Amino acid sequence: MGSVQHLHLADIGDEDVEPAAVIAAAVEGDLAAFEALYRRFAPRLYGLCLRLTGQREAAEDCVQESFVAAWRGLGRFEKRSRFSTWLQRIAIRTVISRRRGLRNVHEVGEPAGGLPDRPDPDSGAPPLDLERAIAALPEGARDVLVLVGIYGFSHAEAASALGVAEGTCKAQLHRARGLLSAALGLEES
Amino acid sequence: MKDETRISLDEELAKLSRDVSPPRDLWPGVVRGIVRAPRSAPRLASAPWMAYAASVAALCLAAALIWVMVYGRPPLSATGPATAANPPAGVAPTAGTTALPGVGASFGEPSDPHYLAARAELERTFNQRLAQLDPATRAKIEADLASIRKARDDIRQALATQPDSPVLEQLLASSLHDEFDLYEDVVRTTQPTSART
Repeated sequence: MGSVQHLHLADIGDEDVEPAAVIAAAVEGDLAAFEALYRRFAPRLYGLCLRLTGQREAAEDCVQESFVAAWRGLGRFEKRSRFSTWLQRIAIRTVISRRRGLRNVHEVGEPAGGLPDRPDPDSGAPPLDLERAIAALPEGARDVLVLVGIYGFSHAEAASALGVAEGTCKAQLHRARGLLSAALGLEES
Repeated sequence: MKDETRISLDEELAKLSRDVSPPRDLWPGVVRGIVRAPRSAPRLASAPWMAYAASVAALCLAAALIWVMVYGRPPLSATGPATAANPPAGVAPTAGTTALPGVGASFGEPSDPHYLAARAELERTFNQRLAQLDPATRAKIEADLASIRKARDDIRQALATQPDSPVLEQLLASSLHDEFDLYEDVVRTTQPTSART
């Protein structure tokens, strides 16, 4: 494939800078560019999917499906929005679609499976208890907490991505906080 | 107290890394999804080589049956001599050769450059991983791959005389899927434990 340029992570640049040239190349069908985007954003999507699904294999499947969907939908990517946000929205939709499919076949997941086995090395304390407490939250509360509390979505963004009303989103976050506080032994009032 | 709790919870949440490295490289699966339309066939969770042997055998049998339908007698074996009625279709390209010479002109296979790029990428990863395997395992996989390609060539030749046959088209697609499955299983089972990021 002579037209495919060989791109590396070094071409991607700083984490906070959207790699516009690489994105543009991927939009044009450059698979090497798309792989570079995968290398850059897969950990973000995997973290998101893992926390939303609570299962390693499900998260892996969702990440793969999300990138396939992204490849197919690259032509519709609007450059005025952030690529990472666009990818995360695809991942959220993928997780939700998967849940609906699983419900249809009455498949029950194993909560909290596949959570990171190491704490974030940059953090002072092991967050594993918190991760498990998040994974044990009811689905709706967990979704909102993950998006708003961890991934920095606004309530409007989270509500739009999850297909719920903004008020529902706020209520679920409040509920999630209460349940988490109780689970972690923090006083809520 | 409530505000202090909220701040404490927010601080704990802020400590969580947004990025979590996947435990394995998911890119080959992405490439496979790009290359072909989604299928509902379940993954092979265990003993992939044995499963492939069965798959290859079934595909060869189907190809032979098709050959009987078209030519009235079964094809010669992959190692058999070539004749006018049974051209040397079974010479499998060695791993690492350019993907599917003449792919664009063959029956039902996409000639889209994105498809070709994705397929080449998948083959490249497969060949890298294949080279890491012990000789006996590598020989087994190469034999399976050769059988798949032999069956596909037989199906192509049958398609040359029956270009409108939906059964042959389906068999051809099935042979491609089998090849992709073999690629991915090799890549997956040889995946280093530390994930690439």
